[in-house]
Amino acid sequence: MAHIVMRDVQKRFGNVEVIPGASLEIKDNEFVVFVGPSGCGKSTLLRLLAGLEDLTAGAIEIDGERVDHLSPSRRGLAMVFQSYALYPHMTVRENMSYALRVARTPKAEVEAKVREAAEILQLTEYLDRKPKALSGGQRQRVAIGRAIVRDPKVFLFDEPLSNLDAKLRVQMRIEITKLHRRLKATMIYVTHDQIEAMTMADKIVVLNEGRIEQMGAPLDLYNDPDNKFVAGFIGSPAMNFFDGTVTARDDAALTVELSDKTKVVYPCANPGQAGVGDAVTLGVRPENFHFDGGDEPAIKGEVYAVERLGGETYLYLQSTAGHETVVHAVGDHEVAVGDQVAVNFNPARNHLFDPQGRTIR
Amino acid sequence: MTAMTDADFRRAIRARTLRRNLWLAFLLLPPMAVMFIFIFLPMGSAVLYSVYEWDGLVRGDFVGLENFREVLFEPQKSKFLFNAFKNNVIVFVSVMVVQNGLALVLAMLLAREPKGYRFYQVVFFLPVILSTVIIGFQWKLFLNPVFGLVNNLLRAAGLDSWALPWLGLPETALPSMILVNAWHWVGFPTLVFLAAIHRIPKDYIEAARLDGASEWRIARDIIWPLMAPAVTIIVVLTFIGAFNWFEIPYVMNGLEGAPGYSTDMLGLLFYRTAFGSISATDSDFGAGSALAVLIFLFIFTVSLIFTRLLTAREIELA
Amino acid sequence: MQTAKQKNSSLDRVLIQIFLIGNAIIMLYPILMMALSGFKTNAEIFTRPFGMPSSFNLDNFKVIWTQTDVPRYLINSAIVTGFSVLFLLVMGTMAAYALSRYRWRGSIMVSLFFLSGLMLPLRLAIIPLFIQLKAMGLTDNPLGLIAIYTAMSLPATVFILTGFLRSLPAELEDSARIDGASELRIMVQIMTPLISPALVIAGIYNAVPIWNDFFFPLIFIQSPEWKTLAQGLTQFFGEYSINYGVLYAGLTLAALPIVVIFIAQSRRFIAGMTAGAIK
Repeated sequence: MAHIVMRDVQKRFGNVEVIPGASLEIKDNEFVVFVGPSGCGKSTLLRLLAGLEDLTAGAIEIDGERVDHLSPSRRGLAMVFQSYALYPHMTVRENMSYALRVARTPKAEVEAKVREAAEILQLTEYLDRKPKALSGGQRQRVAIGRAIVRDPKVFLFDEPLSNLDAKLRVQMRIEITKLHRRLKATMIYVTHDQIEAMTMADKIVVLNEGRIEQMGAPLDLYNDPDNKFVAGFIGSPAMNFFDGTVTARDDAALTVELSDKTKVVYPCANPGQAGVGDAVTLGVRPENFHFDGGDEPAIKGEVYAVERLGGETYLYLQSTAGHETVVHAVGDHEVAVGDQVAVNFNPARNHLFDPQGRTIR
Repeated sequence: MTAMTDADFRRAIRARTLRRNLWLAFLLLPPMAVMFIFIFLPMGSAVLYSVYEWDGLVRGDFVGLENFREVLFEPQKSKFLFNAFKNNVIVFVSVMVVQNGLALVLAMLLAREPKGYRFYQVVFFLPVILSTVIIGFQWKLFLNPVFGLVNNLLRAAGLDSWALPWLGLPETALPSMILVNAWHWVGFPTLVFLAAIHRIPKDYIEAARLDGASEWRIARDIIWPLMAPAVTIIVVLTFIGAFNWFEIPYVMNGLEGAPGYSTDMLGLLFYRTAFGSISATDSDFGAGSALAVLIFLFIFTVSLIFTRLLTAREIELA
Repeated sequence: MQTAKQKNSSLDRVLIQIFLIGNAIIMLYPILMMALSGFKTNAEIFTRPFGMPSSFNLDNFKVIWTQTDVPRYLINSAIVTGFSVLFLLVMGTMAAYALSRYRWRGSIMVSLFFLSGLMLPLRLAIIPLFIQLKAMGLTDNPLGLIAIYTAMSLPATVFILTGFLRSLPAELEDSARIDGASELRIMVQIMTPLISPALVIAGIYNAVPIWNDFFFPLIFIQSPEWKTLAQGLTQFFGEYSINYGVLYAGLTLAALPIVVIFIAQSRRFIAGMTAGAIK
């Protein structure tokens, strides 16, 4: 239960600016995911919040209280690490109770809390085992249990699922979301996997090179990315990008000529964001292509790979302008490698980015 | 919002840093102090002492390099130095050939994991853990000319003429000691070599075997070059050990390198010079310190050269 | 072709075994003879040098246990070795921990400070050390030996332990920090237990040479009260120079403790003693 504010937080290691300045607010009971490519500063941001690193400048508040001078344990938060960081020489019970024992909590209370957390996580029968004797998923649950036992205001997760296999990952994703509903605590979750971000978050914070690119609800980010980076990062398979040049502009639209000479009229509210002659990028999500023909613009190319998944089909085209293009089609689509195809798209449902990569809206 | 100002927070963070530095100091100062008092201070003093005259435990006048001149160039003293030096060189070369050569063969054989190879490892290493003093005395008893085990065995084998007073003859005393040393230590290089061989990825050896290389070719072309770092370490350790050789000659034939200084070593000479001995001279801390500085400089320089040369070879071979 | 090669390799195997067995005999026979001779009377040693003793009577050992200082030497060696290993492990862990688990300016300089100790042969500084210990009242005093052994062992100990401590994941420390543990507590309760194999290795690496050392006691200990085993043996050899059975028994007794531990823990011993030479 906590309301977190990070105000112009900065972090330098020596001369390296890891976080040049980030501000964000996290509401009580929110599930927030920090996502971004490796090295984007998402883990550093989490560690600053946890108190494992000292701020270079800025402020962090939890429930209106400055905490950036407090040691990690006094900030009322718990953290689940990528490697789980279970103490190898302690049993599950000892691992889960360690924080409470350090804090000299009465024995009976420690026992009760460990029992409760173990029950929630179905670990009761493993309490006397050492971490070595547990499976990956069980270790992960112990790590979460260790956090739960402390009744923290904030849960921090640092890429907690990246060491699990695909199937377990899906399962743990659901378990963590369930846990969030049950505990009603603020949770901050760091991952480089945008699928985790999309499926778990109330709010996603996309980071790149230490900067916050965009914050918002998952589908808002998906449907209305602020810039090319977010557009490309969120969504799988990733958005297709086509280079083009603005050839004409009026009050409500920009006309763009793609490198294969295809003309696209892109309706927008602020066409003034780009001028005639500007190099822009058109973004089309794979599922926004269709084969209906008509007078909508088309990307033409040769199919070089087809993935048939039964319910859906992915086509990989080499467009005539040389762009590798992914097309998503519902159902089984009759097409073979080597076929020449044309796929249409509706310009209004796509995105155009100005030379600086900002979305033209 | 609380009443603390931004400066207060900075101060609070600085206090955390200070606490951490105090903690680091608490961890580091005791071990550093012990090292300083019992290693660096005496090592430094040794250099200082070598340029003073000494009367027993009392330091006299500054005499510059006089002590060095004395031990190096006064024939009465320098003849001991050069004799001992020669003996140390003999020890180093012999140990390299006999002990480390045997160790290399043993390691290569053990690396093929023959039956009982764990047992062999333990047996070969057993003498290594024993005190040199025990080994020295034990072999002194075994080498006793009249009733020692060695001569008894020789006589039993009908080699009566070979039953010599091994430690009593200038020609056999030092070789005997070198063999005793080899017996004592051979397990050490053996297991260091063996560990180095075990670290070579099995793939290389298997690939060579598939290429049709004989065991001998594999040993020479694959294993030997790839165990170069272990060889470097053993050569340097053998060198340092040979020039610090003290216990075996001291225990087996005494401080004077009997018979006739044929087993005299730099270590014994240094000890005699510094603390005196029954037959020879009085204690002379000045000359002793000068000797110590010379020996140290020699060992240090040559070790460095060995390391350089052998590491260059490692890189070439790697 | 195949069979010829196989024959060849089985012949190889026989030759290798012969060579190894021969070597094993050379290593074991003297030790066995030393032990057996300890049970023999002087007369037996002369008349039946290779045979078994007529009986395994413990007379020689009784002489040593009741009439010589060897038991005291054993105790002294145990005290000196025990405390030296304790101190060097504690201080070595402290230094290695500071050097491996924290980033701070000057840590490289301090590492070099410790590493340079590896190259300084303290034996050659025996004269100033003697004067210094005399002034400190540490000659004829086991504390003097303990201090020297601790100091001498620190460089290698720090070196060995730093390597192991570095390999522990930082997340463990972070986790403990979030759990509210102090730095001291993290070191003692979380990190140090995880390097206990390294502590055993470092302990053996140092304990064996300390237990066996002869040189420093020879110079710093004069009174029989504090003589250590290796040094005390020289005294004992002077006193019993013609009673060979007793001498052999004394050597056997002196070798016994470490041989027993070695046989029980041979793998750890071998790993420990070669730790400095294997990277």
